[in-house]
Amino acid sequence: MLRIFYHLIVLYLSFHLLWHLFRQKKPWSQAGAALVLTLFLLRLFLIK
Amino acid sequence: MNRIKAPALSAAFFLFLTGILCYFSGRSFRTMHRSETVFPSVGLTDTHQLSDYFPPLKNTHGDTEVYIFRGMEKGGNLLVLGGTHPNEPAGLMTAVLLIENIRGKRGNVIIVPRANSSGFTHSDPQEGNPQRFEVPTPAGPRLFRLGSRLTNPVDQWPDPAIYINPAGQKLSGNEVRNLNRCYPGRANGFLTERIAFAIMELIRRERVDIGIDLHESAPEYPVINAIVFHENSSELAALALLELQAEGFDIRLEASPVNLRGLSHREWGDHAGIKAILLETPNASHGRLKGKPSSSLIVDGKDKFYAKASRLGWLFVPYGEEGIPLSLRVARHLAALKALLGGLAELEPEKAVEFEGMPLPSEVQKKGVGAFLHPPT
Repeated sequence: MLRIFYHLIVLYLSFHLLWHLFRQKKPWSQAGAALVLTLFLLRLFLIK
Repeated sequence: MNRIKAPALSAAFFLFLTGILCYFSGRSFRTMHRSETVFPSVGLTDTHQLSDYFPPLKNTHGDTEVYIFRGMEKGGNLLVLGGTHPNEPAGLMTAVLLIENIRGKRGNVIIVPRANSSGFTHSDPQEGNPQRFEVPTPAGPRLFRLGSRLTNPVDQWPDPAIYINPAGQKLSGNEVRNLNRCYPGRANGFLTERIAFAIMELIRRERVDIGIDLHESAPEYPVINAIVFHENSSELAALALLELQAEGFDIRLEASPVNLRGLSHREWGDHAGIKAILLETPNASHGRLKGKPSSSLIVDGKDKFYAKASRLGWLFVPYGEEGIPLSLRVARHLAALKALLGGLAELEPEKAVEFEGMPLPSEVQKKGVGAFLHPPT
């Protein structure tokens, strides 16, 4: 159960980052959001 | 319209880059869970999983292979454990070398090359260690995992603030993931405690007479180039010391402290009543004074900082510019194993263990570990 909550939190934050990525206008801000999103996706799919 | 479209396009481009980054990092991460193939010699009689001795370990990252070489003649039972600490490569390599070369003659030899298999699936954070090290063989290099001293936190988390181990010793919290602090284990405890419990079950069910746990330590650590023995094995350790010194190996004896609980050389002797021995060789790659960690530091053992520390008298072993290579460390383990078995045959002939095919320590030292390994596939 705890694991499902954990995944839901990471999933929510990943969507938030994705939304943030498409809202940014400066490429450097987008690159920053993309890098953080990478870490969240790796955590979501590879680490319990 | 154009002002909105351009950022959306670049965002899509960065999203694509994110996908590429995730793919390559994910692939690299997944390879940490892949164990290298071991090619057992024709003398192998049984292969088991540790979970065969303790079924709750099945389908966990604590399960690991157990190789058994049964001899034709009746004798004792020897357990050799490598990879209790997966950042101490000479233990793993000695176990692999034995599995790939020996044939049982008298008694049984039980070898567990990756005792803490979960520890092999991750690396120590902030150490910059290589994921694998490369052992050259005549037919090309073979790669072996360099893991962490502790169980992977993905498999066992969180650590308690203070850990009271199954033997009652109070330790710092992260020692809960150190296999060599968790003996005699708990059947319903943390994963590392369950691995320790499974090893105790293996000892009980295979009626092990003598257990040898292969380790390495940093050159600045005092227990080094040593045979650590339970008090029930003091005579055996003394006999082995004499033989090793006669062969030119500088080695010291360390009695297992009675009040330091949870370690193999203490609990195997106390709880299973077997002769319990732990061997240590010097390994620069997990010391604090080393330079850049690399595969060659593990295999060749050359490190100018350790050489300097040795000149300054800061170390417990002489460490020259030529380093202490893996071949010498494995040769030391093999020589100690041979000396201990010689001593056992002298003290308790009915429990003698003999096998053929083990490379001579002097040959391993001269030709390297890879000369005695199966060629890579």
